[in-house]
Amino acid sequence: MEEHKNENPLKVNRRHFFSQLSVGIGSLALGSLLIPDLFKNGSKELAQQPLGIPHFAPKAKRVIYLFQAGAPSQLETFDYKPMLRKRMGEDLPESIRNGQRLTGMTANQEKFPLMPPAVNFKQHGQSGTWISDFFPYTAKIADEITVIRSMHTEAINHDPAITFFQTGSQISGRPSMGSWMSYGLGSENKNLPSFVVLTSRGDGNSQGLYSKLWSSGFLDSKHQGVLLRSGKDPVLYLNDPEGISRSEKRDLLNEVSALNKLHHVETGDDEIESRIAQYEMAYRMQMSVPDVMDISKEPKSIIDLYGEDCQVPGTYAANALQARRLAENGVRFIQLYHQGWDQHGNLPNEMAGQAKDVDQASAALVLDLKQRGMLEDTLVIWGGEFGRGNYCQGKFDPANYGRDHHPRAFSIWMAGGGIKQGLNYGQTDEFGYNVIENPVHINDFHATLMYALGLDHEQLTYKYQGRRFRLTDVAGNVIKDLIA
Amino acid sequence: MDYLILGLSVFLVFCLLFESYMELPAWVSWLGRWHPLVLHFPIVLLLIAIFLGLTGKNVPKRLLIVAVVSALITAISGFFLGKDTLVKGDLLVWHQWLGGALALLSALWYAFVNIFPSQIRYHKGIQVVLIGLIGFTGHYGGMVTHGADFLAFPQSKKQGKIPENPNIYSDVVMRILDNTCVSCHNPNKQKGELLLTSLDQLFKGGEHGPAVVPGDLENSFLVRRVRLPKEDEDHMPPEGKTPLSELEINILERWIALGAPDSVRLDQLEPSEPLVGLIQEMRMPDPEEKWRSFATIVDSTLQNLSSDYLTIERMAANSNALSVDVYAPPTYDPKPITDLKRVANNLVELDVSGLPLGSAEMATIASCSNLEWLEIDGTPLKDAELRSLTNLQNLTLLKVYQTGITDRSVEVFKQLPKLSKLYVWDTNISEAALEALQKERSALQVYKGIDPKIKSFFVAADSTDTNSLQ
Repeated sequence: MEEHKNENPLKVNRRHFFSQLSVGIGSLALGSLLIPDLFKNGSKELAQQPLGIPHFAPKAKRVIYLFQAGAPSQLETFDYKPMLRKRMGEDLPESIRNGQRLTGMTANQEKFPLMPPAVNFKQHGQSGTWISDFFPYTAKIADEITVIRSMHTEAINHDPAITFFQTGSQISGRPSMGSWMSYGLGSENKNLPSFVVLTSRGDGNSQGLYSKLWSSGFLDSKHQGVLLRSGKDPVLYLNDPEGISRSEKRDLLNEVSALNKLHHVETGDDEIESRIAQYEMAYRMQMSVPDVMDISKEPKSIIDLYGEDCQVPGTYAANALQARRLAENGVRFIQLYHQGWDQHGNLPNEMAGQAKDVDQASAALVLDLKQRGMLEDTLVIWGGEFGRGNYCQGKFDPANYGRDHHPRAFSIWMAGGGIKQGLNYGQTDEFGYNVIENPVHINDFHATLMYALGLDHEQLTYKYQGRRFRLTDVAGNVIKDLIA
Repeated sequence: MDYLILGLSVFLVFCLLFESYMELPAWVSWLGRWHPLVLHFPIVLLLIAIFLGLTGKNVPKRLLIVAVVSALITAISGFFLGKDTLVKGDLLVWHQWLGGALALLSALWYAFVNIFPSQIRYHKGIQVVLIGLIGFTGHYGGMVTHGADFLAFPQSKKQGKIPENPNIYSDVVMRILDNTCVSCHNPNKQKGELLLTSLDQLFKGGEHGPAVVPGDLENSFLVRRVRLPKEDEDHMPPEGKTPLSELEINILERWIALGAPDSVRLDQLEPSEPLVGLIQEMRMPDPEEKWRSFATIVDSTLQNLSSDYLTIERMAANSNALSVDVYAPPTYDPKPITDLKRVANNLVELDVSGLPLGSAEMATIASCSNLEWLEIDGTPLKDAELRSLTNLQNLTLLKVYQTGITDRSVEVFKQLPKLSKLYVWDTNISEAALEALQKERSALQVYKGIDPKIKSFFVAADSTDTNSLQ
């Protein structure tokens, strides 16, 4: 547990001390007279509450975020727009585009011919959720998931958009949402980081991923996301060099820790304390990480469920299985990224490949969590950073076309963690271009996510550079309709 | 001075007698607004004068004059204010006549002092009656402004639960209005000439128009006023009163949009109707409520019990309900778990899955009588150890998959009255026993692993995929 930081790194100086002393004692006395509960547990002031505890009883305790980096097209996944086929090739009416700015990739196009979805859609489950034929496995869990088809954002390029999704701001530097959860809820298992990142890459057109996306920003660095690599060393330099025993390592850590504590007394820098804690955690992670990452004990039925790929380190399927194991071991926020969803061209082929990478394993993860009763308190989210345009990018060829970035509407799905099941939330117009019902902004999404985790998005703040920051900045409404 | 008092008295009597024939100009009504301010003078001044009189001291004449004049002015201004109200409730009528009597009696006292200065006994009689009148007039006045139950002994404002299948109007809408609006819009205090106590009154509305127009949110003043920004002067309820919650406003709006029915019950609505979800949300008890009675646990106790492999957390800030997760340490020791006995009654969630649990740990777990959520999957537990779980009468969720339990444990599950979710795949329990359990407890959800049909799709499609690649 930690308190809000004093802005002065030295905590207090002489002038500050004396000036506060007289006022302080007086106001303490007055305060205790006026507010009898002031010195009792039970003050309702959330901002003063110790961190590491939810504000109210949560529905979800952890999140598995299956981020589809590059932005999959909503028109080939969950937002079925048959009208586009009827009006195929017609120019996007200005009444629909309504001045929407475009990226440099299509802004100079003379025409914006409407392009129908590359695949067929069917309704699945009792919920009748429309899902494209690219996702036969996800179709099997239609009644477990809630599809939000009315997501919208402000960014039109990948980096600001994904930064917005991760940190609540298009400009980098703010803490990632995983860091906020770690800051607000604390660690469930002290032997693992509370925020873990796993990445994989498909054959489709990829955009970069940067460690800033899982940075803790101005929060304590212990809330930073830890990238687990595939292969022999999931965390670099975690293992002891050859010839060093565990007890020698312990002695070394004790000495280093003693020196660090001396330095902390001298400077009062809190980052030193974080560093000591992280050395200790790394020591325990030497035991816990190999155990969690070792999927050899998983039975064949589970391997079959996630697909053969899950035995190949570094694939999306392997990461999805890993995500379940991490969730079982109390990691608060498990962020997967699968790159390759940026289909500016060759969309039908590329999307088929991308979908094949993630479809079975994503659905398997939901089913696996469900049979373990983990959907009760684990929230799974699948989606990218924005949507894609309903018009053709490049040469008009229904067999090989592209779609440009589109911020005004896109689809994601969520499952478990106190979110309703089998719901279809929000709607776009016939063109799949604008949201016409129940819009969900990124800030609303964050607010809802935090609500599910028992956090009030307006109360979880961190004071930095003279201002209280929060994940939702100055906006965001909890979408109560989504909460079960 | 005497003439002023006489004049005011006559005017007051005139007002009271010929009330129904009078039509007041606006500025006079405005004078009436000063009533709540002025009324404090006569109360204090008269009480001082009476106190002096009753204790045998001389009552200064000037004091008495000021007291009597202020009493008369107060009564007259009160009359003006009352005239502003269209329909007078019982409380207001009582307040009016008592106030009038009070002012006139004080004037009579003044006359007595002048005419029979030596008749102290009569003076004292008048003074005692005046005290009574001040008390009653003030009390009725207070009830008019603050509500009839304002002085009722403070009792928990908790209303009964909303019934299982509530009538939308009488059980939900009226409850919302009762809580927030009716204290100012009732027969005794009709602010804005608006009554919010019956459906007819809602339709009829007040001076601005109908409070509710069925199916028409635009013209329903009730929601228009509550939807105004808080800074707006016309926002309802006014500043200082508890505003309606977003949920309550949503319910009112949806009810009006549906045509403000008075006899529709919850189960008559379509399941997809948003009102269903809203009312269900309102019916949901605060999950933290049931933990309120738990003994206080201080943070240091939690710190003592926790370790690198045992995480103990409060369910929510300031809650004494606890959740515990235990992870496998390099060398297992049951002690951290058995030590939880100290907080046994505060534990509501416990995850000890995957640990080599024995009977000692199970004894501790069985003593956690408030436990609602228990994960003991992937443990070497057998039927014998599971028997003690019957103590956990509050258990709602139990994970026992991947254990060696058999049909005998099904009897244990049957004895857990609140159990609603049971995860039992990969055990030695027979299909028949689970079916029997399901039959006996229809509300219990038994999770027997992934649906075989879906599972086979995943496996089969996998192989076809490989084929198609070749």
